[in-house]
Amino acid sequence: MIAWRLAGDATIPAQLQPAQMLDYARSRDADDAALLRGTGLAESMPAGLPAPGTLVAPEGVLRLLANTLRALDSPDTSFMLGQQLLPGHDGALSHALLQAPSLRHALETICAWHARLTPLLRPRLQVWSEDEGEGGGQAGVALVWTDSYGAHGLRAALVEMHMTAVVALCRWLGGSRLPWRFCFNRAAPRHVEQHEVHLGGELRFGCHLDAMLIDAHWLDAPWPRGSALGAALALRTVAAEGAPAPGLLAALYDYLLERVRAGPTLEQTAADFGVSPATLKRHLQRHGTHFQAELDQVRTHVALWLFHARRAGNEQVAQYLGFHDSANFRRSFKRWTGQTPALLRAALGAAGAVVQ
Amino acid sequence: MPAQRHAVIVAAALGACFLLYAVFGVAKASNEWRLMDIVGEGGTALVALAWTLVVLTSRPGGRVTRLLALGLGAIMLGSWADCLDEFYRIDKAALWDNALEALVPAGMAVLTAGLFFWRQEQVRLTEHLQKRERLFRQHRAFDKVTQLADAAYLREQLRREQAAHPQGQCALVLLDIDRFHAINREHGHAEGDRVLQAVSHMLLLNLRNDDLLCRYAGDRFAVLMPGLDEVAARAVALHLCGMVERMRHHAGAVRVPLTLRHGCAGASAAQTDGAGGVDAVLADLARRIDTAAA
Repeated sequence: MIAWRLAGDATIPAQLQPAQMLDYARSRDADDAALLRGTGLAESMPAGLPAPGTLVAPEGVLRLLANTLRALDSPDTSFMLGQQLLPGHDGALSHALLQAPSLRHALETICAWHARLTPLLRPRLQVWSEDEGEGGGQAGVALVWTDSYGAHGLRAALVEMHMTAVVALCRWLGGSRLPWRFCFNRAAPRHVEQHEVHLGGELRFGCHLDAMLIDAHWLDAPWPRGSALGAALALRTVAAEGAPAPGLLAALYDYLLERVRAGPTLEQTAADFGVSPATLKRHLQRHGTHFQAELDQVRTHVALWLFHARRAGNEQVAQYLGFHDSANFRRSFKRWTGQTPALLRAALGAAGAVVQ
Repeated sequence: MPAQRHAVIVAAALGACFLLYAVFGVAKASNEWRLMDIVGEGGTALVALAWTLVVLTSRPGGRVTRLLALGLGAIMLGSWADCLDEFYRIDKAALWDNALEALVPAGMAVLTAGLFFWRQEQVRLTEHLQKRERLFRQHRAFDKVTQLADAAYLREQLRREQAAHPQGQCALVLLDIDRFHAINREHGHAEGDRVLQAVSHMLLLNLRNDDLLCRYAGDRFAVLMPGLDEVAARAVALHLCGMVERMRHHAGAVRVPLTLRHGCAGASAAQTDGAGGVDAVLADLARRIDTAAA
C-alpha cells in the first residue's frame, strides 16, 4: 500500500518552515494577528514562537504563506522566503545538506527528503546522458517541481520560493552562481526583474512545467566546503529519524509516473492507495484537482521530457505513452496543453539552444 | 483632544439654538407640521454636520481648514434653525430668528472663500512635489527598504524619456552588490537591508539631478541617465563602483567590504527599437551582468 497524507493532516513541524516564514514576515513589520489568521497556529505560540513538537497541517502553512504575501504586499516576498528556506533548521538533515560535496549530492538529498525539506512542493531530479537520445541530445539535468497538496493560487509563489531556495543554496555552497535555466508553467509575470535577480536571466514562461535545468557537467564538480563523510554520517542519522509520508498529490504523481505507459485507472489507483474510488475522488476534489487532470499532467511532463532530453518525435512519444497513432497523441497533447507538440517542442528546443 | 473639543462646540451650538426656540417660541400643534420642510431642512443640517466633522478630522489645522469648517458649520446651524422654525412659532417682531436663518447664505460665502484658498494651497503643493520629483525622482517610493522606485517605474520613465527626446542619448546602468547573498547568510537579512540602504545613499549622493536611481530587485540597482551615451555612462558606473568600494560598512563590529559589479547599455529610442524594446534591453543587460559575475 502507498503511504500518503492529506492537506488537512497535521504533519509539518511548526518550528521548521512555518517559523521561518513567520520570522521573516515579522521582520518586515507584519502584524501577528493578520499572519496567523486561519493557520491553526495562534493557540500554540507561547512567547511568540511555536511550541516544540507542534505540528501544522499543510493547509495551515499554505494559509500562513497566503497571509504573509498579503500582509507584506511586495513582489519580492516569495523570493526572500526562498533565500532562507534551505538548508533550514532540521537538525541532521540541514547539516547533511550543508556538507554536500557536490550539486548531485545536494539535489539527491533534497529530492530524497522532500517531505521534510520542501513539504509543499515535490522536487524530482531527472538526469539524462548525452548518448541517450537518437539525435544525440546534450547531457543535462532537470529539477522538476510539482504540487504536493494543491496550492491553487499560491503555486506560482511556491515555485518562485523553492527555485530560489535551491539556487541560493547551490550558490552559497558552490561558491559561485550556477548557470541554471528556468521553465515556468505560467505566463510571464509583471515583476520579471525579481526572477532575473533572484534566479537568473535564462527564463522561459508558458512551458507547462516548472523546472530548472543545467548542464550535467556541473553535477559532480566538487564544492569547496563539502565533506562526503560528514554528509554521509549526517544522512545516517536522518535515515534513522525517517520522514513523514508525502502529500497526496506528490504520492499520486509518483504512482502515475511509474505506470504512465500502462494507462492507470481511478479504480486501480484507489485500490493501491487503500481507499474507495469515491473517497479518492473526494480527496482529490478537496485538493482542487481530479484524477484525469493529474494523469494528463504526468503524461504532458513525460512527453515534454522525451521531446527535450531524448529529442524524440511525435511518433516515438505516442508509442511510448501507449497511443494508437501520432495523430491521436497530437490531439490529446493539444487538449492537455492548448498547444501542438511541434510548437512546444520548438519552444523547448530554443530553451535548449541557450545552453551553448 | 481637538476632535472632542470640536464635537462639543458643535453640540453646544445646536443645543443653544434649540433652547432659544423652545424658550421664546410657541410650540405648533402636530397637524401644523409640514413634513417635507422638516425632512428637507433637517436633512441639510445633518449632512452639513457630517461634512464639518469630515473636514475637521481629515485636514491639518490652518486657515483653509478653519474657513471650510466655519462655512459648513454656519450652513448647518442655519438649516437647523430653519428646521426648528417648523416646530415653534416665533413672534413676527423678533429679528433673531431671521438672523439665524441668514447663516446659510453667509456660510456659503465663507465656504466659497475656503475653497478658493484650498485651490491655491493645492497648486503650491503640486509645485512642491514636482520639484522633489526633478531633484530626487523618488516620490513614488515603492520599495519599503530603500525608499527607491521599482523596476516598473524605471521602465515607465525610460519610455517617457524616449518619447520626450526621440533623438537624444540615454543610458542604463545596472549595479549588483557582490556577495550580497553571503552577507545575508552570514549577518542576517536585517543587515542585508542596512547594506542596501547604505549603498543607495552613496549612489544617490553621486548622481546628477537628472538621473533616476531605482532598486531594480533584490541587490540590483538601476540608474537611468538621460543625455549620456554608453561610454559616458560606463565612466559614471566606474565612479559609482569606486565610491561604494571606499565606503566602510560595519555589521556590528565586523567590517563588511562592499563592492559592485556593473553592466551598461545605451538606451536611446533608436538603440532599444533595434534591440526589441525596453524589456529586451533590460533582460539582455541582466543576462550580461550575470555572466560577468560567473
